[in-house]
Amino acid sequence: MADNLRIRKGVHNLSDAEAGAFRDAYRQMQAITDNRGFAYFAGLHGVPNWYCQHSTDTAPAYYFLPWHRAYLYNLELAARSRVSTVTLPWWDWTLRPPRQSGIPKIFEDRTADGGKPNPLYSFRIDLTNPSIHHATRRQPGSADDLPSQSDVDDVLSTGDWTDFTLALESRLHNLVHGWVGGDMAIVAVAAFDPIFYSHHCMVDRLWWLWQVRNGNGSMPDDLLDTVLPPFNMQVRDVLSVNSLGYDYAAAQTVVPI
Amino acid sequence: MAKKSRQQRRVGKASTPGKARVTSPVRPSAPANTYTSKPVAIEFAGPGHRFESADLEILGIDHSQASYEGRVFFNNPKADASTPKTLDHGYAGSFYIFGHGGCFGDVGHCEINERLDAYDLRDPHPLRPTLARVPVTAALKQIAKSHAEISITIVPVVSAATELCDTKNVFHFQQMRFLTYNA
Repeated sequence: MADNLRIRKGVHNLSDAEAGAFRDAYRQMQAITDNRGFAYFAGLHGVPNWYCQHSTDTAPAYYFLPWHRAYLYNLELAARSRVSTVTLPWWDWTLRPPRQSGIPKIFEDRTADGGKPNPLYSFRIDLTNPSIHHATRRQPGSADDLPSQSDVDDVLSTGDWTDFTLALESRLHNLVHGWVGGDMAIVAVAAFDPIFYSHHCMVDRLWWLWQVRNGNGSMPDDLLDTVLPPFNMQVRDVLSVNSLGYDYAAAQTVVPI
Repeated sequence: MAKKSRQQRRVGKASTPGKARVTSPVRPSAPANTYTSKPVAIEFAGPGHRFESADLEILGIDHSQASYEGRVFFNNPKADASTPKTLDHGYAGSFYIFGHGGCFGDVGHCEINERLDAYDLRDPHPLRPTLARVPVTAALKQIAKSHAEISITIVPVVSAATELCDTKNVFHFQQMRFLTYNA
């Protein structure tokens, strides 16, 4: 592991101070209405800008993982511009009680930090065209219906890049969006729900775990030069999370020499 | 006439795209229409043939509307959202569609445009149909022991829809096929 990498941790492993810093960063971003703010980033995915990439059945269209990695990278930097210690935490949907059940508590509490509205619980969408003016809501399913570790292992065992990205997107990612329900379950408005980014952080982590085993697999060469708008990045720029300055290791201990 | 609940008013036939105010998506209470195929021969999966795994691949799926789980049942055309997801009820697996939620743009925004010519380098339209691949190995092996042909029923269980969505006619596709893989 390279030096000075920032470590993305599981939501379930955040200390109170780390969770507080995460809320602080989102709270500050949600108060900003220009292109440094939460609404700006949320609006890149679906309404009103529609940049997100998901699978279609006409190749080559498997930009889903690279585009969302670039998206999280830019959002994380915007959050770190507010609170420099923050990294995006991933929501491990495979955890079961007593460690976690369904929506993690830090996203479920309506208030936090001395009675303030919890910026991880909801965000108000205010758009004029289309006309959307509401606070995001969720309608989660039964916690037992979230993907299990066995489901994840099954997808990770897929050796071919195209099969892997399709399985990860359609069998795990799509399931969780629908499971959360409400705004998270509709492409147009999903990214306005603050839990969106930790869900995608888990997806990004699973891609990285797959890459550690398989490299970039059989990813087509012509995909590598594809630009990921609106970010000034190509697919080849986002293949290594270490090159983007982060890792998903659970812990990092530097051995003195 | 009984007063309709808020949810009943909100979901149903898709409304015309335009300037209507869109509220938070909900899970509709009314079931969506199911789809059942004509019988398909499955001699390729019979006892005389060896395959390690099998997928049901569904191509050309519309993902412009509601989000839903598509539950796949073999030889159970009466399956609905309450049918247990177990092998003895013909359940073979599920696929999940992350829907766009209807057309949020102006008229024409969600029409899938083709490239104008060879010099049109713009991104392809994001609403080009998608595909799903459902692992069905256990169910196919089980049913092939006693049946030479099967019907496939898809039960869409909607997880979220907006006022812009048709929540009755949810599942639209172009082609369905089995893929088997040898050891």
